[in-house]
Amino acid sequence: MVLYLRSGGKLRDKLQPDVDHYTRRVEVESGQTIREILGVLGIDEGFVAFAFAEGKFRRLDYRPHEEEVVTLQPPVSGG
Amino acid sequence: MDGFGGTTLRINLATGEIKRTPTDPAFAREWMGARGFVSKLLYDEVPRDADPLGPDNIFIVAPGVMTGSFSPVGSKIGFGCISPATNGHADSSMGGHLGPELKYAGYDLIVLEKIAPEAQYLYIDNDTVELRSADKYWGMGSIDLEKRMKDDLGEDFQIATIGPAGENGIVFSCITHDFGRQAGRCGVGAVMGSKRIKAIAVRGTKSLPAHDLDAMTKLTCDIIERTKTHPNMAPWQKYGTAFFVGWSNERGCFPTKNFQKTYHEDWKKIDGERLVEECLVTHKACFGCWMNCGKYSRARIPGKPDTYVEGPEYETIALVGGSCAFTNIHHVAYANYLLDNLGMDTMSGGSTIAFAMECYQRGIITKDDLEGNELRWGNIDDFEHFLRMIAARRGIGDVFARGTKGAAESLGQDTIAFASQAKGMEFSGYDTRWYPAQLLSYCTSDIGAHHNRSWTITTDIELGRENYKGKAPVVVYLQHIRPLFDTWSCCRLFWGELDVTPEEHVETIRHLTGWDVTLDECFLVSEKIWNLNRAHYLERNGGPGRKHDVAPARHLSEPVPDGPAEGHTVGAENFEAMLDEYYAARGWDRDGNPTREVLDVLGIGFAADDLEKIGLLGKPLPGGIPKVRGQKLKPKAM
Repeated sequence: MVLYLRSGGKLRDKLQPDVDHYTRRVEVESGQTIREILGVLGIDEGFVAFAFAEGKFRRLDYRPHEEEVVTLQPPVSGG
Repeated sequence: MDGFGGTTLRINLATGEIKRTPTDPAFAREWMGARGFVSKLLYDEVPRDADPLGPDNIFIVAPGVMTGSFSPVGSKIGFGCISPATNGHADSSMGGHLGPELKYAGYDLIVLEKIAPEAQYLYIDNDTVELRSADKYWGMGSIDLEKRMKDDLGEDFQIATIGPAGENGIVFSCITHDFGRQAGRCGVGAVMGSKRIKAIAVRGTKSLPAHDLDAMTKLTCDIIERTKTHPNMAPWQKYGTAFFVGWSNERGCFPTKNFQKTYHEDWKKIDGERLVEECLVTHKACFGCWMNCGKYSRARIPGKPDTYVEGPEYETIALVGGSCAFTNIHHVAYANYLLDNLGMDTMSGGSTIAFAMECYQRGIITKDDLEGNELRWGNIDDFEHFLRMIAARRGIGDVFARGTKGAAESLGQDTIAFASQAKGMEFSGYDTRWYPAQLLSYCTSDIGAHHNRSWTITTDIELGRENYKGKAPVVVYLQHIRPLFDTWSCCRLFWGELDVTPEEHVETIRHLTGWDVTLDECFLVSEKIWNLNRAHYLERNGGPGRKHDVAPARHLSEPVPDGPAEGHTVGAENFEAMLDEYYAARGWDRDGNPTREVLDVLGIGFAADDLEKIGLLGKPLPGGIPKVRGQKLKPKAM
């Protein structure tokens, strides 16, 4: 299935966007988790704090649906 | 003087004399404000043997060059002094609205000297500057007092306060503003309290002159438009920093039970998701910010009053929630409120109580020391009772009022081995045993262990967590760029998260001030400040420098017992090798002393002269110093 992953910052460099400045179109097996998809893309999950889809926080065991736009939130320090 | 209020205030608290002088344009240009002003003034004016809580320390209030500008985001203000926690340079910043208000009143810098004869507060209403009696406010909690003073003076005053901890000289006392923004670190609240200044109240209604307002407005609007639609903006707005708790646990760096462990089995009970579900009241922003990452929360605990607090943010959840082993987000939020209102840094405060809890676990302190109470992991009643003992310096609370290092020195029994601190300041909320660059960052920081100087968890992942080589230059780079935001006095999050570049910040400064400034020059200013702080630290504390860059034994030799980081530790040999690499990258000698060559390049040859007089000037490096000190990490594409 097709999925759109988005991110900025250093994570953007790893994601290698191809749709627009922040977005990469990927084709993945249906039912895969974000964690599994990151593995397929070769992105260490340590660079992703959590996912954000449909306006909500999602853990990395979230399974996106067809054509879903998923933002990957990089970790930062502080607060 | 474009970009600045134009006036510097110098107030002798002993005599009440208030001097106004025009802010020196050359001084402002060279040091840029906030952290830079603090560094130079402390170096020039404080006797090397001055007691941090005595009359010869000075207390500095310093916004920076970007404070009050709308470009992202000039909300910050710095406070500086010699730290009672580290006996070195202290600067601590906070957001909110106080800094812009002060510049709109016309002031770029306030220096408070000596000690007031009685409790006072500093009242500033544009051109009116007065020291007023604070008798009726003394003893009040920080947050309670801010509300009271707004009732007394008017809602449009911006107010910074200290709590009872600051009055009583607790070395991790903070300054609070905007009901939950803190200049938390280095014990700046204790120094303010030692001056008998309970609060600073400011109203400013003037304008801030800009060199090229049209160009600055255009740049700011472009940044706003771009960041509004940045993919990472919405998650930030909705969730803030508390959502990194899960990530930190899964990376094996979440401090748990005073850093005995690095994975909290019940982290889902205290993470950001639970916070938003159970406690969130509303979102909150600093001056001029469209991110509103602050979370205003309500803690509800049966048998205790409902309390409201800004936070808890990640660091508080880590060092209060994880390190004290809480398993209920309301308890963490309530503890956050107690620390805020008593006027203590939640990071060092949480860490100090966690350290005490481990002392209790080991039988080093007992119920006899605790007025018959216990000090059990995760128990909010025990936490509250002991916290109040510290704030009032009652009994053994007086020992822990000195922070983990001071308490360990008093307690003996090798308790220093499990005090997670560097130079007397407690670690931020990241364990280092699988993250050696973070350990190096903490132990070489100019103000003691603090992530805002250098945060390298993802750097360690990128370069390999079992790898020790090649990381020191990255730490040096981060120690220049991250504190640069505290020098400019703007929020760092737009850089780290939303791709606003440092070059854009410099462009803002050019439009604001008319300075012909470059990013390279700003890096040199930041490096100059770092080296001056190092020289100052050595002049106050002796040398060689290497003897101060010491890691706690736990982080060198005690393997993580379980969780994702199980079995990992850094090891003394690896740490010393990293120090060697770090000193070389800085142009310092192997003893950790700055060399004349690097100090001359940075334009602070006077510090080389001073170090030479006391025998602490670094020996010349055989190959000379690196042309550029520090190295930016280039992330690998996958």
